Amino acid sequence: MLVNADIYVKDIPGSLVRSLEPVSAVDGNIVGVVHNREQVIDGMISVNLTFNVESDKLETLKSIWKSRDVVIAKMGSVTGTVPMDYILIGNADCAFTENLMKKAAETVAFSSYEINTSSQTDGEGRTVRISAKLETKEDAKKLDAFMVDSCEKNKLTCIRGLTA
Amino acid sequence: MRVFISGFGNIGRGFFETLIIKDAYLKSRYDELITVVGIVDSKSYEINDGTYKICGFCTLGGKNNTGKLHTDRNGLSCTEIMDMVDFDLLIEASPTNITDGGEGLKNIRHALRKGKDVITVNKGPLALAYSELDELAKENGCYLRFEGSVGGGMPMINLCNEALVGQRINSIQGIFNGTCNLILSRMDSGIPFEQALREAQQLGYAETDPTYDIKGIDSACKVAILANSIFKRKVSFSDVSVTGIDTVTAEAVEMAAEKGMVIRHIGEISKDRLEVAPRLIPKNHPLSVPGSLNKAQILTDMAGPITVSGRGAGKGETASAILSDLIWIMDRRNA
Repeated sequence: MLVNADIYVKDIPGSLVRSLEPVSAVDGNIVGVVHNREQVIDGMISVNLTFNVESDKLETLKSIWKSRDVVIAKMGSVTGTVPMDYILIGNADCAFTENLMKKAAETVAFSSYEINTSSQTDGEGRTVRISAKLETKEDAKKLDAFMVDSCEKNKLTCIRGLTA
Repeated sequence: MRVFISGFGNIGRGFFETLIIKDAYLKSRYDELITVVGIVDSKSYEINDGTYKICGFCTLGGKNNTGKLHTDRNGLSCTEIMDMVDFDLLIEASPTNITDGGEGLKNIRHALRKGKDVITVNKGPLALAYSELDELAKENGCYLRFEGSVGGGMPMINLCNEALVGQRINSIQGIFNGTCNLILSRMDSGIPFEQALREAQQLGYAETDPTYDIKGIDSACKVAILANSIFKRKVSFSDVSVTGIDTVTAEAVEMAAEKGMVIRHIGEISKDRLEVAPRLIPKNHPLSVPGSLNKAQILTDMAGPITVSGRGAGKGETASAILSDLIWIMDRRNA
């Protein structure tokens, strides 16, 4: 799993290395380190760390850090999201779009979505842009199929984002 | 090598000119001469029949001055004219007919049944009857080549089947119609579809009746050809899901731009997808190309993504594809 953690280490030489070593010790792989030397609290500095590690090794890592006086301020898993974009052209008003997204949410798990509707109407409705983030590629495929099908039934042009 | 050319419009003439331009090169490569023994256009024809001999500049000059070749067809079909002369290779460059394949399909069938090699740039016959023609070529020991049918000067079919042989092609996504791309990239500047279309017509890219391009029919033909020839799928034009660009509004283009994206008309082929549709792509995506170029991204299992681009139409560009197919066939026939 990909983990992001905010930790505090003593503001003395060698403490950063001492805080990173345990990640390797549990066979983790460090993806990124941000060493924030400006944020010193009680003689400790903030480090933001992103790393890959097997989930069953996390508790071991935490105990090693504790034994080395590393304070864990925040830790959480980072889930990659799949972005999907759509533009709907035709008779797509706000009520229709809201209803469409409600139905979509019954089929797929959204991490988030954002709807932008054009301000003007030309007598044939508004243009709508939907930017969604999904948790899995499978959900992204399902959403694609759902949008194409719904737009076809409602005589809308659906312009989908190109995915690899 | 005795060559028969069916279709003597821009492309047919372009190839004929190429034979003249590349004469020295072809003579240095092969001992045998390449002779054009027959040419047919929609109204007229010329054949080397003992009393008349096709001559490069006379033929081109005649066609350019009168719009016709030496003899009127007077109701003769192209296949009847083909039967008047012995030839080894048919170059099929007659206009595309996507309803029933038109005369082009009849010509290709006729040549293959007679055991003649065929090079075609005519999309209709391939998009409608690829499997049948491929089978016919194999049954009769003929070569059927068609690099110029997709992307004109942009190498695609032979690149995938020969240069990338052994790799699995997972998908191809591309811009296969320069006119649509020109219109959409002009719309990026804020002008509406109708105006962008008129501009494309004035520049000579779009036909007076632009249906074939803007409704996605041309791109769909190419998608069907690629699906058959590269992905070995037995499909025809009617299996391709097609959405044209004529419903794309200036407002949609503006909303795409607000998100750092553009709208492009993309053909997509994979093992489970056959589609032509306007799609949203990031401005920095390889397929976000302006103007009338064709561009495609081939996703392979070993070499990763490979991007090719080139002019999708034009007589010189398409003639270059015919020339490469001609050389491919002659190399094998002379081996």
